[in-house]
Order: sequence, then structure tokens, then C-alpha cells
Amino acid sequence: MKRKLSVKKLLSAALILALLTTAFAGCGTKNKDVADKKVTPGPTEKTEDKKPEDEKSNQKEPDGKDTSKPVTLTWYLHGSNVTDDKEVLEKANEYLKEKINVTLKPIWGTWGDFDENVVLSIQGQDPVDIYFTCSWSADEYNSYARKGAWMRLDDPKNNLIEKYATDLWKQLPEVLIHGATIPGKDGMGVYAIPGYKDLATQNCWDLNMNLMKKYGYTEDDIKNTDYYGFGDILKTVKEGEGKNFYPLLVEAAVLERMVTNSIVVAGDSGTNNLLSYYIDPKDVAAEGSYGNKILSKFETDEYKKFAEKTREYFNAGYIDPAMGNPKQANDVRSAKQLTGEYLIGTQSYALGYEAQAGKERGIEVAMVPCTPPYVDTTSSQGAMMAVSSSSKNPERAVMFLNLLNTDPYLMTLLNYGVEGTHYKMEDNMVNFLDKRDDYVPWTNGMGNITLLPPQKEQGADFLDRFKKYYGAAKSIPILGYCFDSTPVETEMGSLSNVAAEYALSLDAGTIDPKQKLPEFIQKLKDNGIDKVVEAANKQLTDYLAKTK
Amino acid sequence: MSDSLAPTKTKGYHSAKRKKTWALTSMVLPGAIWLVLLRYLPMFGIVLAFKDYQIYTRAPTLFHNIQHSEWVGLKNFKFLFTTTDSWIMIRNTIGYNALWIVLGIVIAVSFAVMLNELTNRFVAKTYQTLMFFPYFLSWVVASYFVQAFLDPTRGLISNIQSNLGMEVTSWYNDSKPWPVILTIANLWKNVGYSTVLYLAAIAGIDTTQYEAASIEGANKWQQVWHITIPNIRPMITILFIMNVGKIFNADFGLFYNVPMNSGPLFPTTQVVDTYVYRALMATSNPGMSTAASLLQNVVGFICLMGANTIIRKLDEESSLF
Amino acid sequence: MARVETMPVSHTGKKRKARMNAVSLPTEVVIHIVLILFCLICVIPFIFVGIISFTSEESIREIGYSFLPNKLSLQAYRYVFDLGDQLWRSYFNSFYITIVGTFLSVLISALYSYALFRKDYKYRRFFTIFCFFTMLFGGGLAPTYMVCKNLLGLSDNYAALIVPTLLNPFNVIIMRTFFQTSIPLDLLDSAAIDGSGEYHTLFHIVLPISKPGIASISLLTSLAYWNEWFLSMLYIRDAKYFPLQYLLMRMQNQVDFLVKNSSKIGPEAAKIMRDLPQESLRMALVVLIVIPIAFAYPFFQRYIISGLTIGSIKG
Repeated sequence: MKRKLSVKKLLSAALILALLTTAFAGCGTKNKDVADKKVTPGPTEKTEDKKPEDEKSNQKEPDGKDTSKPVTLTWYLHGSNVTDDKEVLEKANEYLKEKINVTLKPIWGTWGDFDENVVLSIQGQDPVDIYFTCSWSADEYNSYARKGAWMRLDDPKNNLIEKYATDLWKQLPEVLIHGATIPGKDGMGVYAIPGYKDLATQNCWDLNMNLMKKYGYTEDDIKNTDYYGFGDILKTVKEGEGKNFYPLLVEAAVLERMVTNSIVVAGDSGTNNLLSYYIDPKDVAAEGSYGNKILSKFETDEYKKFAEKTREYFNAGYIDPAMGNPKQANDVRSAKQLTGEYLIGTQSYALGYEAQAGKERGIEVAMVPCTPPYVDTTSSQGAMMAVSSSSKNPERAVMFLNLLNTDPYLMTLLNYGVEGTHYKMEDNMVNFLDKRDDYVPWTNGMGNITLLPPQKEQGADFLDRFKKYYGAAKSIPILGYCFDSTPVETEMGSLSNVAAEYALSLDAGTIDPKQKLPEFIQKLKDNGIDKVVEAANKQLTDYLAKTK
Repeated sequence: MSDSLAPTKTKGYHSAKRKKTWALTSMVLPGAIWLVLLRYLPMFGIVLAFKDYQIYTRAPTLFHNIQHSEWVGLKNFKFLFTTTDSWIMIRNTIGYNALWIVLGIVIAVSFAVMLNELTNRFVAKTYQTLMFFPYFLSWVVASYFVQAFLDPTRGLISNIQSNLGMEVTSWYNDSKPWPVILTIANLWKNVGYSTVLYLAAIAGIDTTQYEAASIEGANKWQQVWHITIPNIRPMITILFIMNVGKIFNADFGLFYNVPMNSGPLFPTTQVVDTYVYRALMATSNPGMSTAASLLQNVVGFICLMGANTIIRKLDEESSLF
Repeated sequence: MARVETMPVSHTGKKRKARMNAVSLPTEVVIHIVLILFCLICVIPFIFVGIISFTSEESIREIGYSFLPNKLSLQAYRYVFDLGDQLWRSYFNSFYITIVGTFLSVLISALYSYALFRKDYKYRRFFTIFCFFTMLFGGGLAPTYMVCKNLLGLSDNYAALIVPTLLNPFNVIIMRTFFQTSIPLDLLDSAAIDGSGEYHTLFHIVLPISKPGIASISLLTSLAYWNEWFLSMLYIRDAKYFPLQYLLMRMQNQVDFLVKNSSKIGPEAAKIMRDLPQESLRMALVVLIVIPIAFAYPFFQRYIISGLTIGSIKG
């Protein structure tokens, strides 16, 4: 037995030796590769010179903009559809080289792969300098700020914004700065540069006006009533259009918020929200009906009333059963929207939506808002750029972000491509050429869109309308607050399963609230919802104390 | 040892033996190196299950982060047991697996034997090819097919029901029929796969055995029982043991996609993997996911060792090790 | 009936003799019925997928998935073929990694499992446990990712798509079992007496006999490589190396993501979504990915079936 063991040891030693040799051999080849073609961002490049240049030497750098050393910045974006960036990058790098001695290396994350990859990229410490982040992607701004993935940009010890990005900071709307200031790993501060884009939320009833008119209704018939008063209209149209027509086309979770005037509490459970904050639908800047307090969504009277009404509508055949099925709801809804097969829909509004939607659906679309536009944590953190805490050149990264968000030439180049190749200017408006199909980054995901010349289909006055609409948006009282679920992780784990079992079905009316809602509430209680709500409220009180 | 090399214990015997050991070790080596690099080396990550994982500011590596994350004991495992769903998901996971292991073996072995008995080779080939087809489809695609039957407004069954004036069954809201639906779906997809393995094992049987039996007047059933089955017994037991090792792991794609993630079906569709997935949607703590899979594998490991020990006692030839 | 020629027993009364050691006719009929029913269940979904992939979106929106769509359309395929060169490049990549990967994987597994099969191998038990242990325990995604990418340099190259799944412990164990069931031990003994080295024995004696086993493992391995998208997602950023499955998968993910999150992306999303052949696309992607591998299937199957003892007589 003993001899056997020692042989085993010998064997494992040999294996490890072999493995080390292979590993080194691997490294060697890799380096050669890097030397041969300088294009690939070989990970070994970074590992090698990681040690000598650590945080201290960075901090010791003298104030002022030192751009003597050429630097390559890796930039991870979301939502891109880019197959050929050669020409754009040539131009951009030529310009950046001259301005701040930077070479840009974008990673064009797509809608499909960003969420999976970005988390691994951060955990695996990939050499990325700037990450796209926001309140709804997998590298969620708040939680990753707490985990220490992002560098604090207004750190009193090394205030990068003050040093390198004052131009950018000055032109950002106050609400965005407010929304970006959060409690992170290094204290309350800014952990990413917010993009100046559609920064407000406004939920609207999306009306199929062709059908409304057919039955003699106008927009006012919706404006003058509320969800609880839709019954007659829905009944008339359902009777007129037949058994297979479902007049109420809803995104069930959005519908619930629209009807009860609750908003998404940032940081709440992933797919199904558990928490509610109620706003005042008349004046969104004022405290809501429950004050500055977070409630367990499904235990309120508002919710009960809503669920019962929805069940009534469902039983009357106004809501498609598919809306209660999480895998089907999106497909069916978008299909029915496109064919105009609905009377009243739910829509989270963005400027210009009705025109665009009407064009696509071939019908007249009208939007009836439930509240004035408001800015909450989620919408103010809609698209941001964070400097990775593993970045070796945070100064240059911030300089780059500053330039990007203040320099119309650079912004337009990176967003729309090269003039004459990807687009041409007509009457001071952008008209895209065929080549643009190979280079379509996500405009709203990149940064300050007010630097961009308007596109032809947006119209010449787009920017004015944009500033007017979003400039008027008021912030809600708890803007910037984000619930940190880490202290109650265990509870959140089981609660999200409980919510997945009931929430959507109740929101869409596919199960009976009389029987199921009490069962649901009991299960929430059994799995510790009270502890979660308590933690959320405690954090909210702390947050408000810190900001006011 | 069934070593029947020249029994004289001379020097030549020893050196031959050593030579053989080296030759065999050199065969194992490429695979072993691969296992060390790609399986054993990353295993340091298992400690995450007992840590509160933090990404540290300006931290150089994942390894460093893990090293500096706080030990939290069994906290990461808690979410699996403090929930009211614990019993349901454990019952479902183990129940479905146990049932499917047995059904899978019985049906796949029967199909393999049946195919082997067909006199027309072309037909056997065709059957076997067609049987394997579902394995090409992902569960996502399969779920659309199931939906085509069960959809409450456009599904085939619903249409038939409403045309006959019957009440339309709300399949995605009623958890009772799902154990049957899931069982059918699972067998449909996987039987072809194991049939191939059994069939290949049957194909390896030495035919002289059948000839001898046939001459001695053994009928077909007797041949199946006394030649085919005993010959493929090692394959049956190995597949059995390995499936037992996965008894606490459920096929996520099946349980998540085929029931369309529909909430009201949870009483019969919630399994450990779907529970963990949904829990992590809310928290995304890598420690918790590591903890869950560690637990699943430890349970599987214990069951596997148990199964292997029993089988070793019965038939050493067929056991895993 | 070809099998008659392989009948060594008797040459008289061919037809009757052919049935001599086969199952009785009624039994065979029952077998046929059972298998035909099962095969229908297996094949109908494929026909269904095929039909939907050629169905127009309008028809799907109107009557749902149906065997008899209102209107046919090539929209989904046109959408995919818009990828142009990238599509063919990805087809090439998929073939390349499947062929190279399967060859290497089966070779390494065969070597490993042959040693485990040898009862007289000194470290047999150790390496068996060493292998199957990894079937159950692993370090998880992030550590594996780090080791592969940073230590082994598996990033944006073909190796990244082949190496991480090179050995499947399951296949090793299965292959060992194939050897156990098909290699008579005296064969090895006589080979050893003849002075055949271990490598010679494996490649010239054992492997030729184990063709059905090798073929079935190759089939499963090649299928795994062909369907691989996860590795590409982890290690590949350069579209040059995208295999087909990943390319198509990204397309699907993009569509799904847009449908799900359209409200967060702004009016742009609605614009992109306008012409997406949402549901037929899903099925067209399946058709494009399954067809090539389905055609490769008979290649492997030949070796499995040819080993079958049709009517008990090996062909």
C-alpha cells in the first residue's frame, strides 16, 4: 500500500512538471504571437508588467495631464452591430493619438453576448479599461461598484473627474450626476460616467387609434378615466372584433406599475420585483402616498385591487393568456404590436416613440401618459461608462471619456462612422449610406448623444425636442437609491423563486387572486420578505441621510 | 490479476512488466495532463463555496481575490435549505432522476435488442437514425414543439378540445399532467442516444456464442437473456452508475424550457437546477452557485460510490473501478 | 436479401434458413410497429421545424405554428444569408473544429481508456478515479475561464474551441466498457506472446475490433463539437473564428434580447426589430445547423450497424 502511494506521488509530481513545461511553452508561443501581430490584446502582455506598475506608482503621478506615454485603451461596449470598424478606428486613433496619445481598442459586445461575457471578463480580470455598465445589464452598475469592480472617479484622494474631466462634468444634467452618485466600495461617490441620453421614464397607454376611431372613441376617453374604468371600452371592442381578439395588450409587470403608480426599486430581485415605492402620479417630485418608504409589493391594498380587476378583465377575455407565460409573453406581444392587433397597450415611453411605432405598425398610434416623465435610479443609470479597477491607465481612460463626451467630431465619428463612407450630410442632417450596415454601434449606449447631428428621420429639431422633453423631467425623491441585497442574499434567493411562481400569473390575471394571492403572501412571509423590506428601508433612510 | 503472461518469475518477466507499465502510462499521459490542466487546476475555485467573494479594487488576479475573500462557512449553502421549496425541489430532482434512470435503461435496451433482431439491415439503419434525431434538437426548440400542442389559444390539443365543445385545458397553469409530459419529453430526447451505445455494445458481441446457442437449440428469447443481456451488462451498469452520480443534478434545459418557466407549474417542475438559476438571477453571487453545484456533486458522489460498491460485490467485472 | 450470402450454416432452402435463428414473424411485426411509432414521434418535430422555417411571419402571427401555414416565405433564410461571407467562414470553422477536435479527442480518449481497460495495468484504479472524479467535481466557470485564457492562452484561436472539451470522462469510461465487452482477453494474451507492443496491440488488434464503439463515441464527440457555442462565447471575440452554431446563436440571442428589453433601449430597438423574422428565424437556424451533421450521421452509423448480428450472424 505504502509503496503504491509513493509511486502515486511520484506520478503526480511528474504530471505537474509536465504541466508546468506545457504552460510555459504556451506562454512562450503566446508572446511570440503578440510580437508578430501587435493586434491581439494578448492577456499575457498584461500579466507580465502587472507587478512593477501597481496602484502606488499610479497615484504618485503628478497632477496635470501627462500624456507623454502612449497608451492603449480597451473599451467594452454593449449592443453593437459592428462587422467592419477598420476605417473608423484608423481615423479615431489618428485623432486620439494627437489629442491624448491614446490608441483605442473597442470590444463590440452585442445584445446577445454582452451579459454572459462581461461578468466573466470582470471576474477573470481581463485587461479591459472601460466597461459599459448600467442598471439593467449583467454588470449592474451599483452592485459592481460595491464589489469594487469600478474605480471611484471622484475619490477625494485622487479625483479623476476634477483632474481630467471637468468639461464633461459641467455639461451633464444635474439629475444624471445625482443618479450616478452611489455608495460603492470606496464610499459614496461616482463610479461611472453617465451617458446623456433618454434619461426619463414615462409609462403610457399605447392606443391603436384606428381601432379606437372605428368604435367611436377618442384619446380623451382614455385620458378621462383610468384602468378601472376601461371596462366598457374593452367590452365594446371585444364584442365587435370577435373571440380571438384580445384588446388589452400588456406587459404584465409594467401594467402593474402603471396602475398602482409604483416604480421599480433599483437593486430589487432580478426578474420579478418584490418591492414597491409609490409615487404621486400628479407630482412625481413629491413624496408618494406612503411617504419615503419601501413596501412589499404584493401585500398592499393597491396590489390586491389591481390583481382582482385584472383577473376580471382576463376572465372577460380582454387579455391574451400568453401574457401570463414568461417565455411566450414577449414574443406574442411584439408580434401583436407589429400587426396592430390590440386596442390598448402598455409602453415605457421614449421620445419619438409614437411616430416610429405608427410607421412600423401601419396604424395611427397615440400615447396617453399615466404620469409626467420622471427620473429614477434605473433611468438615470440607463447607459454609463465605468473605468475598470484593474485598468492600468485610469487617468487616460477618464481623459478619453471626457473627450468623447465633449468633442462632437470624435463622438460623431465613433457613432455614425466616417463622413462620406458611412453617412453624408444633407441639410445639416445625417443620411446613412450602405456602408453603415457594417458599423452600427448602439448610439444611446456610447455617451452624450446631444453632440450628434440629428439623423434625417429624427428631424432637424430633434435636439431641441430632446432637451425640452428630458429637461422637463423631474427626479423622484429617492433618485440614486439602490437596494443592496447582499445582506439578505439567502432570503432573496428563495423569494425570487416564490415570486417567479406567482407574480407574472397574478399580474396578467391568469390565476385567481382570491385563492392564490393569500397563498403567495404567506409564502413570501415564510421565506423572509419582512427581513428584506426592513433592510431596504434601513438602507433608504441611510441613503437619504447621506444625500440631504 | 488476470495476467497470464509467462508465469516464470525471471528478470525478463519483471522488465517486460515494467515496460508494459510504462507503455500504458505513456498512453494515459496526454489525457492525464489535460485533466490536470483543465479540470484539477481550476478546482481551487471550489473554495468559493465557503467564501464571501469580493472583487478587490486594483486586485491583480482572481486567485488573489479568492485568497482575500472572507471565509463564511456554510452560509452560501443556506439558500438551498431555508426555503419552503426545499422539499419540493429535492423530491422532484431525485424522483424524476430515479424514474428516468430505470425507464431509460429498460426502454433503450429493449430498442437496441429489437433493432438487433430485425432481419432487414436497411430498415434497422433507418429506425436507428430516426430515433437519434431528437438528440439534435435543443430543449428550447423542443419546447416550441410542445407548445404547438399545448398552447391555450393556438395549440393543436386546445383547438381540438374547443372544436369538440370541451373545456380547454390550461396546460401551462395546471401542474398535474407535467410529470407525464416531462417524462415523455425526456425519453423522447434521450432514448435514441443510449440506444446507440447499447447497440454498439451488442455489435461487439462475439457471434460464435449465438451460433453455438442456436445449434444447441436455444430459442430467441433464451439467446437474448443468456447471451445479449449478459454481454452488455457492463454497459448497462456503467451507464447506471454514472447516471446515479448525477442523481442530484437535473437537466436544466428540460425543466426550464419545456414548461416555459411557467410559475403555476412549479410544484411539479421545480428542481434544484431551476431553483438555483432563479435564485442567482436575484443575487448573482458566485459563491452561492459554487456551493450549489458542490452540494449536488457531493450527493452524487456518495450515491455513485454506494452504487459502485454494491455492484462490485455482485459483479466486479461491471463496476466502475 | 443480402444477408443470405453471409449464412454459413446451410445453402439449401435459403429463405427459410435465413429465418432460422431470427425472431418469429409475428414478433418481428410487433417490433416494427413499436419502432415505427417511436420513430414517427422522433421525426415529426423535424418536419414541423422545417415547415415553420419556411412559414411567413404573418402566418405565424395569425394562426400560430402549423403544419399547413397560410403563406410560405424565405424571409428567415434570406435574413441569415445576409451574413454573406461570414456564414461560409463559420461553416468552415465548424467543419474544421469538428473534424480536428473529434480526431484528437477520440485518439486521446482511446489511449486513456485502453490503459484503464487493461486489468494488469498497475495504476489502473488510480487513473480511473482520477478521470471520473472530474466528471463530478469542477472548479466552476470563472476559474476555468481564467486558467484557459490566461495560463493556456486559449483566446481567439482554434485551440480555444478544441482543447477545453478534448477529453470527456464520460466517453473514456464508456469506451473502456466497449473494450470490456468486445475484446476477448485471450486475444491480448496471444498478442503479448507474439511480442506485440502495447501500441501495436491497441492500434492493430483492439481498435479494429472495437469499430462500433469507436464509431459511436466519435459520433457523440463530433456532435458535441458541432453544436459547441459556449466555448466560443467565452474565448472568441474575433468573428474570424466563430463557428456556425455560435454565429447563429448570437443572431437568435440578439433577437430575443431586443424583444425582451426593447423598452430600455429606446426607439432604436423598435427600428431594428421591424423586419426581424422572429419565430421562423429560430427554426431556420435549427435547419441550417442540423442538416450538415445529420448527413454525417450515416458515416458513423455504418460502423455501428455493420457490427450488428443481424439474425444473429455477424456481417
